[in-house]
Amino acid sequence: MKRTLARLAFLIAIPFATWGHIGASTVFYHGNAGPYAIDVIVRPPGVVPGRAEVTVRVESPDVGRVTVQPVRWDAGTKGAPAPDLAQPVRGDATLRSAELWLMDFGSYSIHVAVEGTSGSGKAVVPVMSVATRRLGIDRGLGVLFAGLGLLLFVGALTILGAAAREAVLPPGEVPDAARRARGRRVIAGSALVLALVLAGGRAWWNSVDARYRANMFRPLHITTGVRSVASQRVLHLAIDDPRWLAQEPGRNRFSPLVPDHGKLMHMFLVREPALDAFAHLHPLRLDPNTFDVRLPPLPAGRYVVYADVTHESGYAQTLTDRVDVPEAPSTAAPGAAPEPDPDDSFHVAAALGGAASPAAPLADGIVMVWQQQEVVAGQPASLTFQVRGSDGRPAALEPYMGMLGHMAVRRDDGSVFAHIHPAGSFSMAARQVLERGADATTKPVDHSEHAAVAGGTVSFPFEFPQDGRYRLWVQVKVGDRILTAAFDADVAPKR
Amino acid sequence: MSNAVSLDQVGPVPTERSSAVPWYLYALAVGSTSIIVGAIWDISWHSTIGRDTFWTPAHLAMYLGGILGGLSSGWLALKTTFAGSAAERGASVPLWGFRAPLGAWVAIWGAIAMLTSAPFDDWWHNAYGLDVEVLSPPHTVLAAGILGIILGSLLLSLAWQNNGRGPGTGRVQVLFGYSAGVLIALFALLVMEYNAPNQQHASLFYQISCGLYPILLLAAARGSKLRWPATTAAAVYMLLIAAMLWILPLFPAEPLLGPIYNRVTHMVPPAFPLLLVIPAFGIDLLLRRATCKSDWVLAAAVGAVFFALFLAAQFFFSEFLLSPLSRNWFFGGDRIWSYDARPGPWRYQFWNQAQDPLSLRGLGLALLFSFLSARLGLAWGGWMARVKR
Repeated sequence: MKRTLARLAFLIAIPFATWGHIGASTVFYHGNAGPYAIDVIVRPPGVVPGRAEVTVRVESPDVGRVTVQPVRWDAGTKGAPAPDLAQPVRGDATLRSAELWLMDFGSYSIHVAVEGTSGSGKAVVPVMSVATRRLGIDRGLGVLFAGLGLLLFVGALTILGAAAREAVLPPGEVPDAARRARGRRVIAGSALVLALVLAGGRAWWNSVDARYRANMFRPLHITTGVRSVASQRVLHLAIDDPRWLAQEPGRNRFSPLVPDHGKLMHMFLVREPALDAFAHLHPLRLDPNTFDVRLPPLPAGRYVVYADVTHESGYAQTLTDRVDVPEAPSTAAPGAAPEPDPDDSFHVAAALGGAASPAAPLADGIVMVWQQQEVVAGQPASLTFQVRGSDGRPAALEPYMGMLGHMAVRRDDGSVFAHIHPAGSFSMAARQVLERGADATTKPVDHSEHAAVAGGTVSFPFEFPQDGRYRLWVQVKVGDRILTAAFDADVAPKR
Repeated sequence: MSNAVSLDQVGPVPTERSSAVPWYLYALAVGSTSIIVGAIWDISWHSTIGRDTFWTPAHLAMYLGGILGGLSSGWLALKTTFAGSAAERGASVPLWGFRAPLGAWVAIWGAIAMLTSAPFDDWWHNAYGLDVEVLSPPHTVLAAGILGIILGSLLLSLAWQNNGRGPGTGRVQVLFGYSAGVLIALFALLVMEYNAPNQQHASLFYQISCGLYPILLLAAARGSKLRWPATTAAAVYMLLIAAMLWILPLFPAEPLLGPIYNRVTHMVPPAFPLLLVIPAFGIDLLLRRATCKSDWVLAAAVGAVFFALFLAAQFFFSEFLLSPLSRNWFFGGDRIWSYDARPGPWRYQFWNQAQDPLSLRGLGLALLFSFLSARLGLAWGGWMARVKR
């Protein structure tokens, strides 16, 4: 019955965001647990408490048991329930699945343990437990509830009327006019009382709903602005959310920020509506609430700001705002602009729709080719790109902030934004925080210790949450230069 | 179909009915018990294991109890309507063309409400998350349904008791007392979030209890023909809860949800029941000796007796329950905490002592509630004593 009801009930889509994600909550993990290469997909429930769907793919044939365990950041494995056995999925020998209950709001990690003849290993996958959706009542369910409610209401009145009219009459005695009138009076009075009870119930339901909505995930509010400093444009970002500013001792909802690959904030700028100009910047923290960053030579216009941050708890979120970027100043204003971060980068391409080619020129004859397959909404896919040098041979990729590549994805209307690594769609800082004391023998694919990777290929695990037109920016490092390619994708509807 | 039954169709009703206790009275009593046991079991399940589905044994016990009550009453309605003797039809009330004793209709309503709560609760979980609180709108519909089953059981045995003359009447009187005890247990469960021993030095606990229990105890006392009716009902309530307190911890279980702050190893029991037999005994004694005609005066006296005895009993008993002396299988002290309860001194302290201490005003309000509740109980019990159908 639950399945039917779940199907009956439809979701009211509400824009939401978790780390690196607007509108895409599925978490991907590509890496290994001890000797086993694994791919993990976690679909968070969208309600708290709720059940997350976890699938684990282990290609190795000598795997015995795979278990999954939800661990809340502040309770650790000591406070975690016993691990659940992930059950093999019929028809696919490499796939296992399990349902896990996330009972509380906040930062969780899923511990995936793999045992087999090659030994055992454990991976830690960060997951944010947040309420992101609100369920409506569809017509069928509404009619069912209304019908049963009416039956109970009328039934209760009729029973109360009958009780008042003749319950105390000796058996066989027919109620006289006075008793019948009494029955009618009781029905009228009870109708009034029951209506009041129902009104109270409605108010109660509304208050539960309001409390739920207040607890739904909202990223911290930020305000951004651009000012001229020296001959530069400087973007200023202030976290001005009361939930962040009014931190009560012992009751902090948000722990301080921690660096992700040495940066407290990874900021993406995308010019609207053409999605032609793009930047990946690393603002400098001035104090716990404010950040500054020197803008690269981007064209003027209205930009969306996506700022990825990770908290000490492992909780990660994407803060967003819109900002008007003016033309670069022609005269030098007083002051000194902050130095740009060496990992900052930007890219200007054709407007959305103009980058449909699977081959994007980078620089000096270097080309990135999207080994494109058909992309369908709601289906996990590995998006693979190959970088070729001017000689047509695969280029050697160098790690860019610890990763072989970075990909940003945005739907044309802004309802989806995601920042993905080859290792998956979670914050690497969150993983590091959550792995502490987790006894993990894990390693998501992390190329920071590699000098360079030959083959020139980089893949990103991702699932487009809905159909439509998307722009993808793929960033790699070749010859100590950060190179960005833009691609457009038309994602087919779910089958 | 005619709703009216003419007098000449009806035979000498009481003598015909008093020969044996009908099976459906037992079925309703068993159903009510199954529901209450299931409800306490379910609360323990949520405190111990956490993870549940529709098909946990605790849920099944509740729904089977509801179905047993509903089907027995449905059968009774069909039999009375289509194959009932004149006497049976005469001792029934009409509803939408059918005839059945009042209690059967109330129980059928309860079963429908219980079944309605299932899809509502399922939707609620999908919309707002899994159970966080005992009291939620769908659980209230469920509780109303359970109330229907228990009240149905109560009314069916009442009608039989009030018409009966024969050898089965004694057993039916006991059944009525038993149903009254189950009813008290249901309401005690509904307010369990305000019932912990740690809350029994604050005014709110006494206000809730004084508003709730006198009406139930006095309705039982006035409606029953037993010698010690309120005491019987209170004892049934206490034994039901105590039995669960003694039995549940015998079963090993571990939490399947996290975060776990309290590593429980066995099913978590309910807290030791309230010592309701003490004020109930006082009520029975008073009612046996009272000679006054006015229910208002009587309610004032009974309300005061309940208030004084209940306060005296719980105030000191809760101190005992928080002390190391109670930490054994019999009293279950300090064993009532769920897997997600953080350890700390708060477990051994009285709560809300600063915000809501036992003040003159707070206790005065409790006394007032006790009086009003007693007055309503006397009225309801008076009606129940006259129920014949």
